[in-house]
Amino acid sequence: MFSRELTVSELERLEAVATAAVDALQMDEETFRAFYDRTARQVWAYLARITGDRTLADDLLQESYYRFLRADRAFASESHRRNYLFRIATNLAHDRHRRAKISTSVPLPEENAPGALADGTDLAADTERRTDLARAMATLRPRERQMLWLAYAQGSSHEEIAETLGLRKASIKILLFRARRRLASALGVRS
Amino acid sequence: MTSPNHDMIECPFEADVLDALASARWPDRVGAELSQHVATCQICQDVVAVSAAMQEDNDAALGEWNDANVPSSGQMWWRAEMRARQEAVRDASRPVTVAQGVAAGLTLGLAGAGGWFAWPTVQGFFAGLLPAASSSEPTVFASTMFLPVAVAMLALVVVAPVALYFVLSDN
Repeated sequence: MFSRELTVSELERLEAVATAAVDALQMDEETFRAFYDRTARQVWAYLARITGDRTLADDLLQESYYRFLRADRAFASESHRRNYLFRIATNLAHDRHRRAKISTSVPLPEENAPGALADGTDLAADTERRTDLARAMATLRPRERQMLWLAYAQGSSHEEIAETLGLRKASIKILLFRARRRLASALGVRS
Repeated sequence: MTSPNHDMIECPFEADVLDALASARWPDRVGAELSQHVATCQICQDVVAVSAAMQEDNDAALGEWNDANVPSSGQMWWRAEMRARQEAVRDASRPVTVAQGVAAGLTLGLAGAGGWFAWPTVQGFFAGLLPAASSSEPTVFASTMFLPVAVAMLALVVVAPVALYFVLSDN
């Protein structure tokens, strides 16, 4: 009814638009691949733990890098670039959580989960500790999980946590204290 | 050594504790002073418990990476490139589609308005085709035809946008 063939000039214009979109990506291929190889594992671990869903982490990882590549931003340092990537990942996880309400809990470690110790003696104790942590983490709010993971699993500074989570640096200290106290209570460290 | 204070939200020894944990010196290879402090400081005890658990879980999560279903850096780049191209083309094509939709909507609106104003004339025309009708009686034809024609027009108004939607969404 209203469809029509594209003219040659329109096709050329669309091709130019597509080429410009690729040229506008944040990095060239070589730089991106090196950056991905340096960071993807940590981003995936972060997503897997804050969402509690490894399959979801697979998807969010890809979306995070795509959005990162499309971001029209300049970064002063590798650290800022990395923090921005984690911020994208955090926001995606947060959006998914709000929409689907699927991540109110963190899944318990499987008995033969990858990453479990091969040593049979330590496997049971290791699994039990991780199960305890998963249960304790499940009692926290998503923001608390993110903050604790960044601070203690990744060793991020307060400034980096603030940048990643979009919070004021001054508020990180008290928020981290509260989250840590809650997790310690859930782990049974506090009476 | 600092005495525990329940109003504190941080402890000056926190960094030392974290450093000892990160360098795997905790608990066996730290000074007695730090050990004694941690034994009496609730904040540092929390730090030890939480940090040790999180680092252990981080190691486990990093180990799970090998089983993650994620593309390699090369595949990731290629997919991103393809997607960027597709999205750019789609965005660039959208104004044409929107303009077509607006034009179609305006056409429908004009047709509807024309039908609305022309309806009395059409009604009068069909009423005039009935020679037997008395001028004092209401025209039966008009009264019986009104409903079907109205329903047909209403259906057209409803169906046309739906049809239009499917045609344009195919584009």
